[in-house]
Amino acid sequence: MTDRADAVARPGDAVVVADLVRRYQRGIDTVEALRGISLSLPEGSYTAVMGPSGSGKSTLLNLVGGLDTPTGGSVAVGGTELSTLSEPERARVRGEEVGFVFQTFNLMPRLSAAENVAFPLVFRGVGRAERMDRARELLADVDLADRTDHRPNELSGGQRQRVAIARALVGDPTLVLADEPTGNVDTETGDRVMSVLGAVNDAGNTLLLVTHERHVAERADRIVHLRDGAIQRIEDVTDAGRDSGSTDGDEPDARDDSEARRRGGD
Amino acid sequence: MDAGETLRLGARAIRAHKLRSALTVLGILIGIAAVVTFVTFGASLQADVVGQIEETSASNVYLVASEDGDGFGGAGQPVFTEADLTTFRGIEGVRRVVPRGILAVTAISHRGDTVARTRATATTPDAFASTTFVAGDSFELGREEVVLNRRAATLFATNATVGDTVTLTLGGGRTRNLTVVGIIEGSAGQVPFDAFGSQPRVFVPTDPLYDTVVESPSTGANQRVYPQVTVVADPAQTTAVRERVERALPGTDAAALVPEGYQLVAQTSGDLADQVEEIVTRLTRFVTGIAVIALIVGAVGIANIMLVSVTERTREIGIMKAVGARNREVMGLFLTEAVLLGLLGAALGVPVGILGGWAAAAYAEIPLTLAPGWFAVAVVVGIVVGALAGLYPAWRAARVDPIEALRYE
Repeated sequence: MTDRADAVARPGDAVVVADLVRRYQRGIDTVEALRGISLSLPEGSYTAVMGPSGSGKSTLLNLVGGLDTPTGGSVAVGGTELSTLSEPERARVRGEEVGFVFQTFNLMPRLSAAENVAFPLVFRGVGRAERMDRARELLADVDLADRTDHRPNELSGGQRQRVAIARALVGDPTLVLADEPTGNVDTETGDRVMSVLGAVNDAGNTLLLVTHERHVAERADRIVHLRDGAIQRIEDVTDAGRDSGSTDGDEPDARDDSEARRRGGD
Repeated sequence: MDAGETLRLGARAIRAHKLRSALTVLGILIGIAAVVTFVTFGASLQADVVGQIEETSASNVYLVASEDGDGFGGAGQPVFTEADLTTFRGIEGVRRVVPRGILAVTAISHRGDTVARTRATATTPDAFASTTFVAGDSFELGREEVVLNRRAATLFATNATVGDTVTLTLGGGRTRNLTVVGIIEGSAGQVPFDAFGSQPRVFVPTDPLYDTVVESPSTGANQRVYPQVTVVADPAQTTAVRERVERALPGTDAAALVPEGYQLVAQTSGDLADQVEEIVTRLTRFVTGIAVIALIVGAVGIANIMLVSVTERTREIGIMKAVGARNREVMGLFLTEAVLLGLLGAALGVPVGILGGWAAAAYAEIPLTLAPGWFAVAVVVGIVVGALAGLYPAWRAARVDPIEALRYE
């Protein structure tokens, strides 16, 4: 993956979030998921977001990834302001500037591993042969060179997540977003997934990770703690603290509706 | 997103649910096949009937008094007198003038076997001028003779043959014993095409059997009067003869005798061919319209299955959007799938429809005539039906919220 370092070497910040507000209308109630967040992700940085359920972690991720539009404030990814973009323009940003890694992998069930990795390039008009070459390359980088023609249901959870990581990288994105990437795999496999993500970051990619596991978050350079839609504190991770392995003390048992529904659906 | 990849993804989605896709395609297949069957049969019928008109009686001018001026098919009023026949015979280019009258007959007996019949045709030997006799020859005027067509000859327990005697029971219970002198095929040009000549037909000489008379306005004497006259023209000047006959009509007894609301009509076979063509076309359209209902049902099937598919694949739609698919690309993907289903149904429906048309033509004993233009139309219709049926489901797919979709299980 070392050959990708120069591709992401842009000066300044990969992501700039300013006074970001997101409100939902749920029935007659207004839910304020984000209450004015400001945050910058420098090029090549590795940031983890932690916080209890309902703290706004996923909302932040969706806004930065261009899946959602903010109620107020701004989000810029790779210099492109997302909040004012039209739907097709946001789709283009999702395809070119951002790579997603999901807790539930979200691979296309009828496509092979290589086709899944190549899938984002379909929407960028890259020819099939070129797409597949690129996909095979990336699968080799995540040690899945022998699984290129397997369907997702023929792969283990860890393998699927590695396919998803390869897919996130295929478009040379400004930013890789990972939403609980270890949430659906066992600890050992989770460590493997996190090593791959670590290598992705080492290769120069900017990484934004959402997790509720302290030991996962500690692999990042810094941890942003969210609570009730606002940044509580930003913690720099020292190398000494990386091996503490404790779980996040902020995580309460009580979960709000949206979080419970999300979990229920997983 | 390129067309090849769109097609590949669509085809893959269709293959993923083979039975479901097959049943959906079947719906369109039945619709298209039904339309193609009726269109093919209609084309065959038209080609056969029109072909016969033009081939067997191209030089005939048919005269009738018709109620709506439409002419063909109407029984007509008896208005053409013997004096009129003489007038027509005098027109330049006329080869023969054949009157036809209707004789009410209640029964026909042959060797003790009696068959109920409603009418016989009273005419002259000229009626058989271009008719091939299976056996015997024409009757002669003034004799107690009869010509049967083959269907009529086989009506009885034992087939009537030349030389046999048949007994006609006329109105009022009077009976006439007539000698069978000839057997023909078809209808002897009574109708201008032989497809309808497969009915039993009985021909008798106007003299002495036809007794519908009227006082001729021109001569003042009682004369036989006929509802239909066929003027056989020189083939080189059929149209000219028709015009001459039309010019002569106002001065005839027929013009004086024609009742209020009726009109004298002179038509050539070409006119009749046009009319028949129109009737067959109208009939074909009507039946095809019914077949189109089957097609609509097929379209509903596509719409239904596409809606199910959109719901089932909500998560996939979310993934597509997350990796950069625009709404219109998602829409295009589902629309392509619907169009593929429609196209598949049409592509399979056309050969099945041709087969159906062939079977219908074989059943009706007419030669098969294909209408290739309609096959192309059918395929286009399949595509359009697929696209229309897929429009709403595809629009729903495009509108899926990616955040919700990615959580969807």
